[in-house]
Amino acid sequence: MKQVGCTPYARETQEMKDIYDGPILEIDVLSISFFTRLREIPAVMDFSVKVMPGEAVGLVGESGCGKSTVALGVMQDLGKNGRITGGTIKFKGRDLGQMSVEELRKIRGSEIAMIYQEPMASLNPAMKIGKQLMEVPMIHQGASEKEAYDRALQVVTDVKLPDPKRILDAYPHQLSGGQQQRIVIAMALMSEPALLILDEPTTALDVTVEASIVDLVKDLGRKYGTSMLFISHNLGLVLETCDRLCVMYSGEAVERGSIADVFDEMQHPYTQALFRSIPLPGADKNSRPLVAIPGNFPLPHERPPGCNFGPRCDYFEAGRCDQGTIRMRPVKGNDRHETRCLRFEEIDWNAPLAAAITKDKGMIGDVVLKMEDLKKYYEVSANALFGKSGETKVVKANETLSFEARESETLAIVGESGCGKSTFAKVLMGLETATAGQILLDNRNIESTPIERRDTKTIADVQMVFQNPFDTLNPSMTVGRQIIRALEIFGIGKTEADRRERMLQLLDLVKLPRAFADRMPRQLSGGQKQRVGIARAFAGDARIVVADEPVSALDVSVQAAVTDLLMEIQREKKTTLLFISHDLSIVRYLSDRVMVMYLGHVVELGTTDQVFSPPYHPYTEALLSAVPIADTRVKKKHIVLEGDIPSAMNPPPGCPFQTRCRWKSQVPGKLCETEVPPVRRMADGHQIKCHLSDAKFAEMEPVIEIAAE
Amino acid sequence: MEPLSWADILGRIFVQFTPVWIALVVVFAASIWFKRNLGLYGKLFDSTIGMIGFALVMFWVFTGIFGAMDMVVTHDALNQISVMKNKAPGTPVMGAGEDVYPYYLLGGDNLARDVFSRMVKGAWVVVQIAPLATLFAFMVGITLGLPAGFYGGRLDTLLSFLANLILAFPVILLFYLLVTPEIIATGIPNYMATCLFVFPLIFVAILLNSRYHTQPALRTPLLIGVLGVLGWLYLSLISEVGSKVQVIPGFLDLFDVPGGILVVFVSVVFVNSPTVFRIVRGLTMDIKTRDYVAAAQTRGEGPWYIMLWEILPNARGPLIVDFCLRIGYTTILLGTLGFFGLGLPPESPDWGTTINDGRRLLSIYLHPAIVPALSLLSLVLGLNLLADGLREESLKD
Ligand SMILES: Nc1ncnc2c1ncn2[C@@H]1O[C@H](COP(=O)(O)OP(=O)(O)OP(=O)(O)O)[C@@H](O)[C@H]1O
Ligand code: SF4
Ligand code: SF4
Ligand SMILES: [Mg+2]
Repeated sequence: MKQVGCTPYARETQEMKDIYDGPILEIDVLSISFFTRLREIPAVMDFSVKVMPGEAVGLVGESGCGKSTVALGVMQDLGKNGRITGGTIKFKGRDLGQMSVEELRKIRGSEIAMIYQEPMASLNPAMKIGKQLMEVPMIHQGASEKEAYDRALQVVTDVKLPDPKRILDAYPHQLSGGQQQRIVIAMALMSEPALLILDEPTTALDVTVEASIVDLVKDLGRKYGTSMLFISHNLGLVLETCDRLCVMYSGEAVERGSIADVFDEMQHPYTQALFRSIPLPGADKNSRPLVAIPGNFPLPHERPPGCNFGPRCDYFEAGRCDQGTIRMRPVKGNDRHETRCLRFEEIDWNAPLAAAITKDKGMIGDVVLKMEDLKKYYEVSANALFGKSGETKVVKANETLSFEARESETLAIVGESGCGKSTFAKVLMGLETATAGQILLDNRNIESTPIERRDTKTIADVQMVFQNPFDTLNPSMTVGRQIIRALEIFGIGKTEADRRERMLQLLDLVKLPRAFADRMPRQLSGGQKQRVGIARAFAGDARIVVADEPVSALDVSVQAAVTDLLMEIQREKKTTLLFISHDLSIVRYLSDRVMVMYLGHVVELGTTDQVFSPPYHPYTEALLSAVPIADTRVKKKHIVLEGDIPSAMNPPPGCPFQTRCRWKSQVPGKLCETEVPPVRRMADGHQIKCHLSDAKFAEMEPVIEIAAE
Repeated sequence: MEPLSWADILGRIFVQFTPVWIALVVVFAASIWFKRNLGLYGKLFDSTIGMIGFALVMFWVFTGIFGAMDMVVTHDALNQISVMKNKAPGTPVMGAGEDVYPYYLLGGDNLARDVFSRMVKGAWVVVQIAPLATLFAFMVGITLGLPAGFYGGRLDTLLSFLANLILAFPVILLFYLLVTPEIIATGIPNYMATCLFVFPLIFVAILLNSRYHTQPALRTPLLIGVLGVLGWLYLSLISEVGSKVQVIPGFLDLFDVPGGILVVFVSVVFVNSPTVFRIVRGLTMDIKTRDYVAAAQTRGEGPWYIMLWEILPNARGPLIVDFCLRIGYTTILLGTLGFFGLGLPPESPDWGTTINDGRRLLSIYLHPAIVPALSLLSLVLGLNLLADGLREESLKD
């Protein structure tokens, strides 16, 4: 590939940039506060980090811990009410706080670039991609139009977009989310910045797309020698992208060091707790459950005295941990490894986890729910207003879905956006009726009974837990009222007092204090809201609960607690849980059987062990490789899927996965492109929808391997 | 007696308003004291703009209320003292008895009535009618906007088309039609009122039924009680002895609303509800995608429960702001109607009518028109500032 930096203007800036060789970014005891009408909110306190040339530093922490504030502080873009109250941010040795507005603008455009979570936030919807890209060198380096165009073409090629010329001529909305994010990265790279700040750049994307973007960012970082500040809540992602990492908790850096040091020799109780609460390979819901971090994240103005993590820390020592300010201290023997814990030298970091009570696995009972060749097609008309006349297209949201779910069983449904998970849930709930096939609930057909015609018992039996905790509760009704309403609808309790009593019991069930009954949803944290959502779903003693990504929007430390709660209720009530998720780590941890979907098709179905070990469906294999795992011992096979998920409006002919499949060439003839593959029974209860021969399946190697300790 | 100087006039007006000042101070002190417990209303007191707006609005509200209790006024609003015809502000009332206030503080109009007292009495008319009429417009807009946004499809297309049709209709023409004697004789305004005023009834009925249908023992008596009272009010409102719509015998008819006011209500609803409809429709389309709506659907709630109890309460923010703005429009509309000699009776002290009366001699005697004009201006300004303040504060946290 052509080396960039050969054009005259670029060489000049290159020389200018090369003079300096100290740390690119040096943040020293930075404090940032936001001033609201009620009080000052200290968002970041005593925060230091150093980014050396060519280094990628990860910033991890739960939501609200101040990660993005640090990034905005570096950009000197804290808005009206934010202010740096102490410390300095030095970029290449120069204090950003002392610079004039003019200098800052120059630096922001050409030397520091930022990439946000939502790609459309950085793109102008009314301007062609090419023009937006060309603006950067034309404004900042005074490049000519021709130079700018060549450069734009170069970076678009660099970010591995197909058909760069056509892309330059497109508007942002004509591209998919993943492609948009690539353009944003291309735009950031146009001026060859010395520092790239990425604020959760892949959170809005699907796992397989995320994996390819992460790959791209790593490659480019290496190629251009750009330093990176990578902000994420996902430890696995940081492991894959960064050299060093800084863990933040409640506005402070609590541990800082190289990836290997922090992952394998952590020296802060919060880091340890964080690792214990995420489902790494080896965790098991019955024998080795996740350990949730007790309590909640303190609000910025309600931080405890002394150590911020104190109230949730297992090693808390009264009289020491709750006094004065605690400083970062270096860990001896490691390279620039520091921790903000008074007791780190006393704690036995290798002590095994206190043996958790091994819980009995619930007995899997009879089949309660059975789907047979369920199909759901939508007719979409090309023209919404005059629907009758225009041509109609058929979207096949669900194609011949068959499976059974038993009592006390957890069936995970895995797949990326548009694969038909939500459609399936809607049909099951009765919000839509099936196009063909049947759904048998206790041997009764319910596929064509819309919810208005279902009897109360059926409705109460099949309930749902929703994804977004901030959306799942009506913001204008108290928590108790919302649960009582469900009880009223399900006809439970004779009097208001009965129902209130039952509601309080439900709060007990989800381990919320009874006082929460009279609170408004906005007074609850995300995890607490999700618990109320669970209580509401179980109001009518639901037997089948569809959980649509119930924990994906929650913080890592809360996820474990909510997951555990679901498992516990399941054990107690023998519920059938249909767990919709794209997060394979959590699926492996809690499900008994897994169903993998792609573009409306079930491509693989089997027990968790069968799905997570070879032979795989080629899509499952890629999905497994794409999921970041926060464990340095794990060796993953590197499979990057090309391209995006095709639109369900225009599915490819033949196998739905053929546009991205790396095994396609192994199938003789043009079978993959012409014929929908048959469902193949691999082993008892294991089925795969693929044309590959048995010999090829036998060749497959495991994607994830754990190196021996 | 000498005419008063301007300083004296202002001083005396200030004294006349004493009860209003006291009320304002009490309200503000209490509100600021408890502002942290008062939700959005409390937050209003963090915004200077909002506080100014609120003060202006409350000033007129209290003026209206105390005026109706004959407290602020100096003279009877209809009483004519012939020598005072078109007299300048501050003119002493000649030959008045002991118990009569000795000055026309803001002068006399061309029928020799006290401009100041008419302004105060006019405030009561405005403060009473404008919010009530706007409320009706909201009920109509909400009852139609919710299903349009919730169901979408054909229903939405149809209702939106109707709304646009009405918005495109020349309003002034409509007003003239409504008050043309021939049209009144056909009873069309009464029939329109009959239709429009039934909306609040439907609204309340659906509201209560969707909420309590699971408990028939509570629902049935509640509905009978509430609808009974509302129905009676409704019938009294629309039925007028001697008009085309006389559904209940006179002795059951609680009150007779003058035909003019009915026309005012009909026009206000007609002009405002399409816009309210569009706002509610938009908000509904947004809110119906939330998970709590899906949760309500999956537990088998009916569509009206979802619309009225899950969606509407969460749309209240923008609606409250719009309500304030819309009271302002309605006040102007009242003025416009009065200006055309429509709506309220000619001797009514409301500001629009008064401005219209004063207009004829405007080049010679400014004060009879300028006083109500400034009052109208300040009230509408206050409402707009209040709406701005509310909007601004509801966005902050
Ligand atoms: N009402 C509808 N009309 C037309 N097409 C629809 C409708 N609902 C869903 N689809 C299409 O069906 C396909 C499957 O959608 P679905 O919402 O089930 O995906 P999903 O796996 O839940 O995605 P995500 O994870 O993003 O929620 C999509 O391509 C979607 O565009
Ligand atoms: S200082 Fe004390 S409370 Fe804080 S993390 Fe260390 S041991 Fe825990
Ligand atoms: S059928 Fe062909 S394209 Fe589809 S997954 Fe199998 S090998 Fe790949
Ligand atoms: Mg979905």
